[in-house]
Amino acid sequence: MYIKKVAVVGAGTMGADICYTIAMAGIPVVIRDVSNEQLDHARQHIQELFQGRVARNKMSPADVEDRMNFITFSGDLDDLDGVTLAIEAVTEKMAVKEAVFRELDQVLSPLSVIVSNTSALSISHLATVTSRPTRVAGMHFFYPAHMMKLVEVIAGDQTSSETVEAVMRLAEEIRKIPVKVKECPGFVVNRILMSSMAEVLRYKEEHQLEAASIDQVITQNKLAPMGPFMLADALGLDVALEVANTLYQSLGDRFKPSRELEQLVAEGHLGMKTGQGFYSYR
Amino acid sequence: MAQEWESELLTRFQLATFLEAVRLHDEGIASAEDIDIAMRAGAGLPKGPFAWADKAGLDMILGQLQELTQAGNPNFAPPESLVDKVARGQLGDKSKRGYLSH
Repeated sequence: MYIKKVAVVGAGTMGADICYTIAMAGIPVVIRDVSNEQLDHARQHIQELFQGRVARNKMSPADVEDRMNFITFSGDLDDLDGVTLAIEAVTEKMAVKEAVFRELDQVLSPLSVIVSNTSALSISHLATVTSRPTRVAGMHFFYPAHMMKLVEVIAGDQTSSETVEAVMRLAEEIRKIPVKVKECPGFVVNRILMSSMAEVLRYKEEHQLEAASIDQVITQNKLAPMGPFMLADALGLDVALEVANTLYQSLGDRFKPSRELEQLVAEGHLGMKTGQGFYSYR
Repeated sequence: MAQEWESELLTRFQLATFLEAVRLHDEGIASAEDIDIAMRAGAGLPKGPFAWADKAGLDMILGQLQELTQAGNPNFAPPESLVDKVARGQLGDKSKRGYLSH
């Protein structure tokens, strides 16, 4: 199956970064949101990404105009006409995603594929709210999506191999590195990161260490590009705690969130976005 | 020279990363090669967890896991696939076979 036209539903930062990546590859893309304000933000964000390339002499202004012409910013369902693959990138709430999946299922051709960019929710479940469960899959981008090369391609219970292949091929066309993953909580990358983060949190408690000293040892020894506490602050401690709890409930004690993480979230210290997490950003 | 707490931290961080990778592999979620690619391209690790383990030597890693388990840390119980590989002499790079083909 050849992907001629893509839709990205949800014009947050993730949706906008994905949209930019698709337009860069010369594939027509509709970015849809119910909020015009959100669409304006997305347009501005995408223009900034293109301007960044112009500033670095990687693109001419004429190239930018050419690539921008691949993008339709739209709140109108009629613009989804001819879309062969839709990427849902709305907020991580099952009810919201279900509504998007139902709507896409109604307006898209029965042969079109619908994928979710979820990092935690069940693809198999999302498939059940559509009339095309074999044509539903996960396509998990990493933040920031225009820079991170990996895409986890997730097959749910009913996903067909044709669908998986179509998503893998699209990922390659937009210059990403796709990896096939069977459905499980956290998929591959987040599950491994959360497991090592939980271990480091235990170590911190046992030895009463500072987050900064731990991060420093890990980055200086080149085990990771960013220390686990800096990473958690960037991700948002509320998100980290929620993911940790999901994994703890389905996979066991090794994911048990530390008291310190629970306490920070309870106090409203959610990391960079609130100015205080394991580190202070004030 | 690294302080003692530093080397213990590094060991536990790397072993926790490796053990979760082994579980994903043993559960059939993804191949060892793909897990390594995912951790490099998605988490920016300089080396995938299986490439790391194969290079370090699976027998050495099994020894470290046994030590931590005996010290009362059940999260580090050695996975069956690792025990099997070591018993069959598949120790990683040095024996040309480990989790990855070399």
